[in-house]
Amino acid sequence: MDLTPIGAALALLPAMGAGIMMGFATGKAVEAVARQPEASGKINSILLLGLALVESTAIYGFVTALIMLFVR
Amino acid sequence: MNVKTLVLLILGALLAAGGLVLRALARKFPEPAADAQKPEVRRYRRRKRLPAVLFWLGVWLSVTALISLLFGPSQREFSVEILPPLTSVLGLPVSSAVLTGFSVSGALILLAVLFRLFVFPRFTETPHGLQNVVELAVEWLSRYCRANLCRPLGENLAAYLFTVALYMIGCAAVELLGLRAPTSDILTTFAMALVTFFLINFYGIRSKGLGGRLRSMARPTPVIFPIKILTDVAVPVSLACRLFGNMLGGMIVMELLYFALGNAAFGAPAVLGLYFNVFHPLIQVFIFITLSLTFINEAIE
Repeated sequence: MDLTPIGAALALLPAMGAGIMMGFATGKAVEAVARQPEASGKINSILLLGLALVESTAIYGFVTALIMLFVR
Repeated sequence: MNVKTLVLLILGALLAAGGLVLRALARKFPEPAADAQKPEVRRYRRRKRLPAVLFWLGVWLSVTALISLLFGPSQREFSVEILPPLTSVLGLPVSSAVLTGFSVSGALILLAVLFRLFVFPRFTETPHGLQNVVELAVEWLSRYCRANLCRPLGENLAAYLFTVALYMIGCAAVELLGLRAPTSDILTTFAMALVTFFLINFYGIRSKGLGGRLRSMARPTPVIFPIKILTDVAVPVSLACRLFGNMLGGMIVMELLYFALGNAAFGAPAVLGLYFNVFHPLIQVFIFITLSLTFINEAIE
């Protein structure tokens, strides 16, 4: 029995975590901007940096899944 | 099978014709309610928009049916290759990403020469037209560099980052021509990440000296030294994998769309292509620049 697809699906678990946590981070950033609109530029750049770092875990999972599925 | 496509073709042609007729009617009998209440205006606008939607839907349907009449059902198979296919140049096996990458570089160099020869001499004190765009981009990037670094490093860093940005945008634009973007090859992205890695160490050593940089890695306790080395080595890997994964992901989504639409992949993928080939690379450019600046700032402070 070939278990590769199940392994690929498991490798995509980080995408779930990254999605949830990106939502949290964006919500906090919205709160911060609502509290202090004049700091929105700085908050924006910090938010984007954090989102990039969070997203990279999802990307690692995605690349791993792709390699499992398509590289023989 | 054939009857169905024929019916679709006729239906599409009828829809397009109906849209045109409706449009002509709307032109001929314009609604008088220009200064009426709001609902009136909204209904008028919707009536104006409907013929165009009908027309384009009809054109889309009939072209789809025409394609499947002429060429038969779609033969496209879904396949993803992590590494780009090899081509042979002068008997040597060369990755196609290298060829497209060099083409993009050549096009960018040509563009730069043309700018230097024909656009720069016409720059005036009060900018207008193209000069506005160029000045906006260059000034934004150099101001961004100055704001994100704790001490000034000169304009060379901004120039490097601008080059990287143009290269990445050019690579993504190549995908609009139907070629495979060079940035969806992990070796290209790894090369760019290695340049950034070199710059991190170069600026770190230049501002603190070799001993200072090594000492800063053992800052809280010497025990942490190997971990810091590992963190530094992980930087180019993470930069390369991030860019590669994003570009490959975009490409795979586009391939899936082409595969799913089959013969109907006409006009509709352009909408998604606007996101995946224009907007998404711009975000990646911004992230690459920001992360490079952050790591360099960490090395020099």
